[in-house]
Amino acid sequence: MSDDAPIAAIGETRLLPEHVSSKSITDSVSRVTETRAPRGWWYLFLAAAALAGGLGLAIAYLVMMGIGTWGNNSPVAWAWDITNFVWWIGIGHAGTLISAVLFVFRQKWRTSINRFAEAMTIFAVICALIFPGIHVGRIWHAYYMLPIPNQMGIWPNFKSPLLWDVFAVSTYFLVSLLFWFVGLVPDFATLRDRSTSRVRQMVYGVVALGWRGSNRHWRNYERAYLILASISTPLVFSVHSVVSFDFATSVMPGWHTTIFPPYFVAGAVFSGFAMVMTLLLISRTVFGLHDIVTMKHLELMNKIMLLTGTLVGYAYGMEFFIAWYSGNPYERYVFINRATGPYWWAYWSMITCNVISPQLFWSKRLRTSIPVMFVVSIFINIGMWFERFVIIVTSLHRDFLPSSWGNFSPTIVDIMIYAGSIGLFFTLFLLFIRWIPMIAMAEVKGVLPGAQPHHAHHDEEHEHAGHHAPVAAPAE
Amino acid sequence: MSKRKPYEFAKPEKSGKVFWTSLEAKADPEAFQARAAAEFPEGVVPDGLVNSESLTLKRRTFMGVAGAAGALLGLEGCVRRPKENILPFTRQPEYVVPGVALHYATVVRSAGEPLGLLVTTHEGRPTKVEGNPQHPSSLGGTDGYTQAGILDLYDPDRSKGPAKREGEALVDTTFAEADAALTGLAGKLGQGAKLRVLTAPSNSPSFLKAQKDLLAKFPQAKVYSYEPVSSANRRAGTKLALGQAADVSVNYRRAKTVVALDADFLGTEPGAPRASREFFDARRLSSPRDAMNRLYAIEPGYTVTGASADHRLRLAARDAGAYLKAVAAELAALGVLADIPAQGEGDAATPAVSFEALRGAVNGAKAPATVPAQWVKSVAKDLADPAARGRSVIVVGTRQPAEVHALAFALNAALGNLGRTITLTSALDTDVGSATDGITALAKDLSAGAVDTLVILGGNPVVDAPADLKFGELLAKAGTSIHLSEFRNTTSTKVSWHIPRAHALESWGDLRGSDGSYAIQQPMIAPLHGGRTDGELVAQLAGARFWRAHELVRGTARELLPGDGFEQQWKNALHNGVARDYQPAALGNVALATDALAAAARTLTEGKSPLSSGNLEVNFAADPALYDGRHGNNPWMLELPDPLSCVSWDNAAYISAATAKELGIENYDVITVKSPEGASVDIVTWVLPGHTDNAITLHLGWGAENVGRYGDKVGFDVFPLRSTKSFGFGDGFTVAKTGKRYMLSQTQETHSMEGRPIAIDASYEEYKEKPDFAEYRSPVLSTLPLWTEVKYEGHRWSLVIDLNACSGCNACLVGCQAENNVPSVGKEQVARGRDMYWLRLDRYFVGEDEAAPQVAFQPVGCQQCEEAPCENVCPVNATAHSPEGLNDMAYNRCIGTRYCMNNCPYKVRRFNFLNFTGQVPETTRMMYNPNVSIRMRGVMEKCSYCVQRIQESKIAAKRDARRLRDGDIRSACQQACPTGAITFGDLNDPTSRVAKLSKLDRQYKLLPEVGTQPRTSYLAKIRNLNPEMQG
Repeated sequence: MSDDAPIAAIGETRLLPEHVSSKSITDSVSRVTETRAPRGWWYLFLAAAALAGGLGLAIAYLVMMGIGTWGNNSPVAWAWDITNFVWWIGIGHAGTLISAVLFVFRQKWRTSINRFAEAMTIFAVICALIFPGIHVGRIWHAYYMLPIPNQMGIWPNFKSPLLWDVFAVSTYFLVSLLFWFVGLVPDFATLRDRSTSRVRQMVYGVVALGWRGSNRHWRNYERAYLILASISTPLVFSVHSVVSFDFATSVMPGWHTTIFPPYFVAGAVFSGFAMVMTLLLISRTVFGLHDIVTMKHLELMNKIMLLTGTLVGYAYGMEFFIAWYSGNPYERYVFINRATGPYWWAYWSMITCNVISPQLFWSKRLRTSIPVMFVVSIFINIGMWFERFVIIVTSLHRDFLPSSWGNFSPTIVDIMIYAGSIGLFFTLFLLFIRWIPMIAMAEVKGVLPGAQPHHAHHDEEHEHAGHHAPVAAPAE
Repeated sequence: MSKRKPYEFAKPEKSGKVFWTSLEAKADPEAFQARAAAEFPEGVVPDGLVNSESLTLKRRTFMGVAGAAGALLGLEGCVRRPKENILPFTRQPEYVVPGVALHYATVVRSAGEPLGLLVTTHEGRPTKVEGNPQHPSSLGGTDGYTQAGILDLYDPDRSKGPAKREGEALVDTTFAEADAALTGLAGKLGQGAKLRVLTAPSNSPSFLKAQKDLLAKFPQAKVYSYEPVSSANRRAGTKLALGQAADVSVNYRRAKTVVALDADFLGTEPGAPRASREFFDARRLSSPRDAMNRLYAIEPGYTVTGASADHRLRLAARDAGAYLKAVAAELAALGVLADIPAQGEGDAATPAVSFEALRGAVNGAKAPATVPAQWVKSVAKDLADPAARGRSVIVVGTRQPAEVHALAFALNAALGNLGRTITLTSALDTDVGSATDGITALAKDLSAGAVDTLVILGGNPVVDAPADLKFGELLAKAGTSIHLSEFRNTTSTKVSWHIPRAHALESWGDLRGSDGSYAIQQPMIAPLHGGRTDGELVAQLAGARFWRAHELVRGTARELLPGDGFEQQWKNALHNGVARDYQPAALGNVALATDALAAAARTLTEGKSPLSSGNLEVNFAADPALYDGRHGNNPWMLELPDPLSCVSWDNAAYISAATAKELGIENYDVITVKSPEGASVDIVTWVLPGHTDNAITLHLGWGAENVGRYGDKVGFDVFPLRSTKSFGFGDGFTVAKTGKRYMLSQTQETHSMEGRPIAIDASYEEYKEKPDFAEYRSPVLSTLPLWTEVKYEGHRWSLVIDLNACSGCNACLVGCQAENNVPSVGKEQVARGRDMYWLRLDRYFVGEDEAAPQVAFQPVGCQQCEEAPCENVCPVNATAHSPEGLNDMAYNRCIGTRYCMNNCPYKVRRFNFLNFTGQVPETTRMMYNPNVSIRMRGVMEKCSYCVQRIQESKIAAKRDARRLRDGDIRSACQQACPTGAITFGDLNDPTSRVAKLSKLDRQYKLLPEVGTQPRTSYLAKIRNLNPEMQG
């Protein structure tokens, strides 16, 4: 079948082992939400929730006292706040990329990981959205950034990249949320149907939106899913491009760089895949999902990380080249200072984690080794945080006039908020695992041999024939 | 290779300058990086205005935060403002229109000299001081001390009433009781044999008259004068040279060659504002054809005078006399010390002067070993230049002994400078001794038990008297001691009576300058906490019936002002701020006491034991911020960075890199400095490039107790090291490491320009060759602007800063702070890089010699870019362009994203990281300028070109139906600047000064290649190098 062509082209015939059936998929995925939470889950949840509570406290303290409770200063007016923001936004990229772009390109292996990745996107974007909110000096006036008609007749400044950010990120969040939710509807219906308690029936019944699995439902669902995927696809590229404009449109050496949009997008995909990998490896082991998330999936993801990591490495090199080639002494200084100045350790951590560590994946043995890929994915998560730290702090701390140079050091509040955002992410993620099917059951079933419920070209054929077939024909 | 044409900064053509990195980075890059990463060197946790305590989470705070966290979840931003009622005047005071400021002329004493002021008052509250252009010692400028004086007035820790000793404690009492006690005391004094009065050297005619009256009533009483920083030695030197007391004032405007021998005449010495104006007037260049004076500075520490010098010599203070003697010998060889024949007839006659004895005394004098030969030869040659006869001046620092002053006086006379660059006026106070004579005599009397009643007028002698006198212990020997003081300082805690002293802006007074100008000091506000003046207390003691200062001052004025129309003269004097009708008493015949001079010159020899790291010279200098400690509780002054070291909220032991290396100490090390008398003081080290080797500069006035909430024990008290022998400076000091570290906060941590064209300078020769050198140092911008360029039809405001006239004195910083209600933030916040200066003074070290670099100062405020990068990044339109091209801040709109701060290439934007204004006491709030909003936490702020002044002047012009005139609007920094380096005005008015200055050849913009099109222009600094001194 032509549908399987991309997979066949990369030498695969089956995405899932032979013994996997529709029932085993439903059982293994639904079971997680239906049984009592294992003790390990509780430990993790309490730890994550404690960190998230710390985030709440730290934010309350920040609001009471002011931005001065952070280490930010003049000249480093942005530091961990925006570093964390960009880091989380980057992590939030893989979800949509996996769900939407791979969907549009008919990469069927995505079905095993897309739910995960989408959930991760939502939670990462939630974490990211905290930062632009709390990093302003007067949080209670943050709504000035929104184009709300007001008696003063003042609109936001549409020239400001920060405003573009507001639109880009909120659009991205809304579309991702919709996309995720739409994909969840059939699976919610499965859970509803399996529910034994009244409460579960009610709750899942509401969120399943009356899904009965009828042909019309499937048709509408497929259309909606495709449309949302098509809307999401450009967003994957636009969001991080717009985030990069925060820096690229400024006049600061080290920020004022035309390579930023593609470089940021590559970096975002890179970090997103790394985070998906980290989480996937944990859940796969904990919940025994080896049959659904196979080594083939992992290997494909590692290949993408190798590609994007190398792209990012190229961007790092290109920045240095341009700093030299442009002949701009300020630019030149900033880059030399990045590698050799007071924050050299951050720069070299970034290079080690982001450029060197994914190169291990050239080796088939290493890219199919679970421990190696886990360690590398953690490295990439760290490295990508450092990348944003390097871009923001090392560019700012020594800019044009040496008289204003300074250093940045974080405070306990900085650390609590960063750790707290990770806590919040895991809190949400752990809740997700417990209450929402973490694998897109309906879609995985779709890639089982013999189950091809939706094929665009089938529909087209039927439309050409002027004939509406109620059920898609088996693929083989 | 890159095909693109490299974008290199053009270097000055002749002197290939080595540009500086931070000294520590150079010495030990690894250790520096470790420290840089840590930011806070290990050591004490600092605290300041916003203290660290408020930032640490305590249990109660934690509960509060936890509660708030809960509340935040539910509701956000429901802030109720407290309900407060205000009441209108029922009877409107005359002239007082709410919102309209009134200006009064007055005079205050600053660094020992009067400084004429115009004071702005709002509804009866003085809020800002400015120089009085009519007063000769101001000429429109001020100094930082005076600008900050306004904050001292509203100091919440000022003494709020009299107090008397009961047992160990001082108990508050009333003025009535204090007056009764004073009257009772006066009745028991008899002839006053056991009455002693200690006062600061006074230049107030009314006080001196009151003092005379007191001595008339108590003929056996004695009045001693003492001030920890005083110009007594200069007057003693003049007396030595002339045989009679005379006041000396220097006219720098006429001087072509200035030799400043250990004299910080542009900084901390008396009369600096006027000296600055005149000195820089003589080097104001509008084209390469203009003449320029030349300054040689010889000094141990690094002062702003040294920074302004064309040539600077590092020399221990003790060797200054020997150096001057060598110059005298060289001058003698050049024939300058020739006898002067009698000249003129009648009153204008000058008698013949024979320098024979002096020639003999200086014959063969050798310069100290560390002085390069050309420093004697070339300086003497420059001075002896026949074209410069009568157009040079040798000025000696007040801490130098009288003999050096006397020799300098003689040389000035020989160079024909008397009556030309040096004016003599009859002295008001003819009681002349060295700086420590008064206090030494008093200590002697006290220890002899000869003092029953001691009246101390102001000051803090228990702390600041020479340590070997042990004044604190001796004070107990006086039966009754009375201390008149603005603060209940350490001396107040040891006396039997404390009486609050009125601030200069609260009281009547008068001051006569050393140039013979006479001005009346009038009160701007009734004393906030009661309070008496020195004159009042003395008159009360003398039993005067009319002892109120108003009567005293008017009575004195009636005697001093000639003619009949006293009332009119009095009014004029008050109105103008200076009594023009006053003529100082004639000086009489001036004849040099040549034999005494020769004897004095013989005593000037190089120090006997050579200086080394085991025999260090310590010199004590007035602090550029606290002076002698009198501004010790003034947050502006505590925070004000030292102009050379940029250290804020502390003083330090300044030392040269070579000596530090020899001693094995580095920055932040706490060292013990031991005096030859055995006293020791622990103080933090700061390596100051350009400091003299084997010498330490210690700034006075820091680290005292009982100062107040801001300044208590801030910094290091160095008075214990100071004895009568080492009052100005002394050798034989040693240093030991303590192993402790101490954090210093600095407003600027990088000392180098990194080879960038920022504070541009050139030599006079280079300037003549290529007058527009400055503009070519930066590449010309070739990119197009992002947005359509605005054509400014109305006003186009601009500021021009002449770096060639900037002495680095900091007055503009304090003036800006006072005008714009800029908060002080405390030591920890400064260390974190959160100082709020709208206008900052950048200081860079330049030059080839690392041990003796030159300094480039550059005041940087908002450049008011026409293509402002801050504006298009603000998401909420809180910073926008005005139709006049100003980059305005709408504080109400600002949400504090700080994006503008990031995108400002000049880093002039200041963010309220914490609530910097919330903790300001009620009293201090009275000082706020009502025309400038107080900014809340979380809001960005920056220099506005004093937009409130622009608006005020525009309104006034509109009301009078006239056009704005050039000079109507003067920014606060411009007004404070004593040298006239800053000019504000309208570029669209082709006749305005600013339009003319911005077209000068030396003009350049800061970072033009960024494309910001700044409105502020700089004029490059020119150094008038002596070709013979090079190489």
